[in-house]
Amino acid sequence: MSQNAEKVLDHFNLFREPEYINLFESKRKEFEFMPPDQQVEEVREWAKTEEYKEKNFAREALVVNPAKACQPLGAVFAAVGFEGTIPFVHGSQGCVAYYRSHFSRHFKEPTSCVSSSMTEDAAVFGGLNNMIDGLANTYNMYKPKMIAVSTTCMAEVIGDDLNAFIKTSKEKGSIPADFDVPFAHTPAFVGSHITGYDNVMKGILQHFWDGKSGTVEPLVRQPNESINFLGGFDGYTVGNLREIKRIFNLFGIDYTIIGDNSDVWDTPTDGEFRMYDGGTTLEQAANALHAKATISMQEFCTEKTLPFIAEHGQEVVALNHPIGVKGTDRFLMEISRLTGKPIPVELEKERGRLVDAIADSTAHIHGQKFAIYGDPDLCYGLAEFLLELGAEPTHVLATNGGKAWETKMQALFDSSPFGKNCKVYPGRDLWHMRSLLFTEPVDFLIGNTYGKYLERDTGTPLIRIGFPIFDRHHKHRYPVWGYQGGLNVLVWILDRMFEAIDANTNIPAKTDYSFDIIR
Amino acid sequence: MSSLSSKIQDVFNEPGCGKNQGKSEKERKKGCTKQLQPGGAAGGCAFDGAKIALQPITDVAHLVHGPIACEGNSWDNRGSKSSGSNLWRTGFTTDINETDVVFGGEKRLYKSIKEIVEKYDPPAVFVYQTCVPAMIGDDIEAVCKAASKKFGKPVIPVNSPGFVGPKNLGNKLAGEAILDHVIGTEEPSYTTPYDINIIGEYNLSGELWQVKPLLDELGIRILCCISGDAKYRDVACSHRARAAMMVCSKSMINIARKMEERYGIPFFEGSFYGIGDTSDALREIARLLIERGAPAELMERTEALIAREEARAWAAIEPYKKRLTGKKVLLITGGVKSWSVVAALQESGMEVVGTSVKKSTKEDKERIKEIMGEDAHMIDDMTPREMYKMLKEAKADIMLSGGRSQFVALKAKMPWLDINQERHHAYMGYVGMVELVKEIDKALFNPVWEQVRKRAPWEETTWEERADAALAAEAAALAADPELARAQRRAARICKCKAVDRGAIEDAILAYGLESVEAVTERTHAGSGCTGCTGTIAGILDGIEDWRPAPSAEPAKRAA
Repeated sequence: MSQNAEKVLDHFNLFREPEYINLFESKRKEFEFMPPDQQVEEVREWAKTEEYKEKNFAREALVVNPAKACQPLGAVFAAVGFEGTIPFVHGSQGCVAYYRSHFSRHFKEPTSCVSSSMTEDAAVFGGLNNMIDGLANTYNMYKPKMIAVSTTCMAEVIGDDLNAFIKTSKEKGSIPADFDVPFAHTPAFVGSHITGYDNVMKGILQHFWDGKSGTVEPLVRQPNESINFLGGFDGYTVGNLREIKRIFNLFGIDYTIIGDNSDVWDTPTDGEFRMYDGGTTLEQAANALHAKATISMQEFCTEKTLPFIAEHGQEVVALNHPIGVKGTDRFLMEISRLTGKPIPVELEKERGRLVDAIADSTAHIHGQKFAIYGDPDLCYGLAEFLLELGAEPTHVLATNGGKAWETKMQALFDSSPFGKNCKVYPGRDLWHMRSLLFTEPVDFLIGNTYGKYLERDTGTPLIRIGFPIFDRHHKHRYPVWGYQGGLNVLVWILDRMFEAIDANTNIPAKTDYSFDIIR
Repeated sequence: MSSLSSKIQDVFNEPGCGKNQGKSEKERKKGCTKQLQPGGAAGGCAFDGAKIALQPITDVAHLVHGPIACEGNSWDNRGSKSSGSNLWRTGFTTDINETDVVFGGEKRLYKSIKEIVEKYDPPAVFVYQTCVPAMIGDDIEAVCKAASKKFGKPVIPVNSPGFVGPKNLGNKLAGEAILDHVIGTEEPSYTTPYDINIIGEYNLSGELWQVKPLLDELGIRILCCISGDAKYRDVACSHRARAAMMVCSKSMINIARKMEERYGIPFFEGSFYGIGDTSDALREIARLLIERGAPAELMERTEALIAREEARAWAAIEPYKKRLTGKKVLLITGGVKSWSVVAALQESGMEVVGTSVKKSTKEDKERIKEIMGEDAHMIDDMTPREMYKMLKEAKADIMLSGGRSQFVALKAKMPWLDINQERHHAYMGYVGMVELVKEIDKALFNPVWEQVRKRAPWEETTWEERADAALAAEAAALAADPELARAQRRAARICKCKAVDRGAIEDAILAYGLESVEAVTERTHAGSGCTGCTGTIAGILDGIEDWRPAPSAEPAKRAA
């Protein structure tokens, strides 16, 4: 046996031992009755053809490898951005375990979130008791300042009424009557995680602004000069929000980041466990009503929240995850326009530095073709940046992108000579992308961790930008917004390019005549 | 050091080098040991020159005898390509320490050679002298001789410590080293009437390989390329070539000329940059080989190949020509190959509007070669505003230069393309020209230039507007005050090597009635260094009517 107590082999090596290789081989031959290798190979090759692509794109029902997650995931993302707030997901606890592990694998931090643990009987008789007990236990065990309630499909299918349930729970004394429990219905069978973010964000603002479900008087807006900022669902929230704060501080203006989860997903290791850390205070959330304007960094993450805010008398500005020079210019000019403050000299210098860095490296990126997938706004920001670099975002795909996004992307392509041969794919999945990478190959792929299979199958080098990133650590600590963020994205793209060049030139005595130290 | 200084003297008597021959006896004696201007941004040293000249020999161990500075900063820093061994990329150094400085580093050098022979067994070891061991008196020639005898393997001393002079001198000293110790030490297994040497080509980005297939097709064998993609044995056998091409650079002229002298190998100076130049070079190679006894039909085949390749290259360039015709190019190079690039650019419809030396705007390629001396990267001394002014006046669309000027170009918001040693694309031969045009096209139409030239959208005034305002203010101040204008004109440093201002040159011209550049050089020493300013001096002479003081203002005795 190759596996023994003297030297235990791990999974990387164990099954490469001869006995396992033989075992798998005979198993295939004698029990699995696989088609002949040649036939497997033929089918594999066929899956790379135009013919297969047409069949693939004719799919009507099945989704294969979706590039999106569910509403409740976005709900949790939004909720943890408030001071001392625990997300309470009304539904089955299995879903909640997913959200927690999903975030923990991406941010390498614990994510606190509870569920009402609905079971079969709750599904039949309704989840009211689970809500009553759940809120009481959460309140007593975790001592939150606020409990943000959202739902899973289970509760939505049976039609549990959150407003009524929370009211009843308070009446039954599970939590104090004046305790803040905003809520939002977030069924996974509608929209995606960006919809969930939107619903919860709106739910929380509605709670504070519109009289806490009829329990108090609605707030009356007393306009001030402050600016609200909404980041949207963002895998780089830790680095991005810190960068955004730095930018606002350089402007020297009053601002409120609504849903600031940058600290809770980056707590220090110093002997103290922080279930909650940082976040937008409840007072700030309420006072955000009085702000002069709200800037949303991701239009498609705030499709309901922004109109809600606008209805309350504020000016709202929707951006599309700006990355790079032009995108950041627009962002800063909006701040400047709204506040009347000039753009800080420091930021202007950073702009020049980013332009300089782009110019230094431009020869490498110019004319390269990219495929991008991810959330609609991220795709837009990346595509805009690539066009700025003289690259072609040939395929841009968002499983959770809709008609409006498609139109917007097309307008972006039309605005640049480099967008001429680019195409937008709303509502498509990563199996569609696989076909595209075979029939219309590109030089690089930008996407999240799941893109590694596409990289392996199609040989298209993957640049990991998006959510989730599970197999590389700490990328979320770097901003992609602001000029500094643009620089990070530029470096990630370049790093992968140079790695690809090195990998293509590293065979000793064969290709390594070009294995150069200067690129 | 006496042998080293006589070697330098010898290099400076090089009859093949017009520049050195143009110098006076006294100046030639001083050689390149002239003091570099302290405080100025200088180019590389003689060690660096020697190292880059020989480093592309792929299968030998290049051992740098000195403290870590020399090899640590230069290890594997060139994009030469090898079709065989990659030993040249391995950084070997004696890395001498304080004790070695006190007690001498010869033993360490000897042991290092021994270890290289034991561990790598290369066909030869090249030992490079550097400043510190040269100053403490390490005799590398003696060590190499002893090691060579002991290990039965060529150990070649390359005696070119940094302090003896600039990079270009190092190139030549490296040439001397292989002339003395390598060339002619082995015999090729066979020879043909079609054997040639290519001298001064380093196979950067694998450029030589873009030309080699053409020679292969004609049946012409590159017996040795010095030194791109060369093997030790190639160099050792290179004295059996029938003819040689020296690739448009004076850096290795001593090798070409001395091989002609010693082994009767005729050479010509040519270039593979640009379509016409490549064709000329191929013709010239064929002509020399035929002169040396190759069958005359070689020329017919050569012409046929040229016709075919030219047609193919033009066809490939055609789609770009439309986009590039009329585009204006500003050329600033670090000395190599500039004139042949000019030809190449003109071929694709572009207009070369100038080099960093203002007076050369309408000069032909020969003139540019003359003006741009080796290592003369004048852009270093230019402020971004001067640069901007130049770019604006030239109305250039793109600047081609070496990597050293890249950053100045970018700060001045100029599209830029690297044409020197750190470039990533190979531009030699017919296909290389197509590649160059393609790269220029890419550089010109990259969106970042639009970005770079635009102000930040919130800026009230652009960078250009500010620069224009500053320039206009300066011009107005000068127009208002002729005395100030005169002072400023006279204060311009014309010859950087010899630190001669324009005023001194003007005075000399007037006082002695000088009429030629040579006469000015004789009187003022301006133009006797790198010779990069001779074009400017000619311009001063030509434009004498513009600056000569009005007779009434100048005392009559001067004219007499």
